[in-house]
Amino acid sequence: MKMTTEKPDMNDFELDEIFASARRTTHEVSDDFMARLLADAAMVQDEWSAPPVERNTESGGLLTLVWSMLGGWAGTGGLAAAAITGLWIGIAPPDALSVIDDAIWGTSVDLTVFSSDDVLGVEG
Amino acid sequence: MTLAALQDTEIPDGALLVAYANGDRDAARILAGRLAPRILAQAYRMLGDRAEAEDVTQEALIRLWRIAPEWRQDEAQVSTWLYRVASNLCTDRLRRRKRSVGIDTIAEPESGAPSVAEEMQDRARHKALQEALSELPERQAQAVALRHLDGLGNPEIAEIMDISVEAVESLTARGKRALAALLAGRKAELGYENDH
Repeated sequence: MKMTTEKPDMNDFELDEIFASARRTTHEVSDDFMARLLADAAMVQDEWSAPPVERNTESGGLLTLVWSMLGGWAGTGGLAAAAITGLWIGIAPPDALSVIDDAIWGTSVDLTVFSSDDVLGVEG
Repeated sequence: MTLAALQDTEIPDGALLVAYANGDRDAARILAGRLAPRILAQAYRMLGDRAEAEDVTQEALIRLWRIAPEWRQDEAQVSTWLYRVASNLCTDRLRRRKRSVGIDTIAEPESGAPSVAEEMQDRARHKALQEALSELPERQAQAVALRHLDGLGNPEIAEIMDISVEAVESLTARGKRALAALLAGRKAELGYENDH
């Protein structure tokens, strides 16, 4: 509900005139703008018709395939670092590693199935 | 056959869009020739700014080109779909403009009115209308613009806005009442000084 105001609302006739004024304002499509619209249309069509990006297989072969499967320089760099670390741990394991090693593999003990005493007296 | 003649042919917009999706560049030319002037006029009446109206038209048409491969001719009319997109883009811009830009910085609309005095009055009224439209709820502004600026019928507006004809009537009626109230204080400035 509208509150009391000093000025009356526009009537339908006045409002229709306002709409008519707006309808009279025009803006034509310029040649330049149409050219831009058609360039957009062509660009979208070109996107559909563009061939998928293909890998260059001519200079590669099996090594290139393996290289790319390993992730190129970045992948093989990580692989090399891991290999060197593993080798070093094998040569000089840190002390802390022996605890883990024992936990996994256990400590070695000597067992014998015979008593040290000659219970049957066979040894004279 | 000239471009103008092609535009007058009876090939439906939907068929042209399918042809465009199949790589036909002439189809895009005919469709843009048919639809761009209407969308540009719609956007310009709502926004009153040449650059913004062109941006909206360009964006709406890019969306149309992109959706072309999925277009189903039996589901909607191309012009209806495009009106909907453009209308939403316009109301988005009106809302952003209201939030972020001082209303005084809105560009003065251009006018095709013959006399300078009439032209000035048309510009002032158009500008006042845009300002008032930006104050309306989005759906009301959309319905009023489609009905009274673009001159579309209620059934077509209902289709564009995906609502019932009754809802369109209600929105336009409320929108007009709100506009009348918003513009009440500007009657003298807009050339209605003899009415009060």
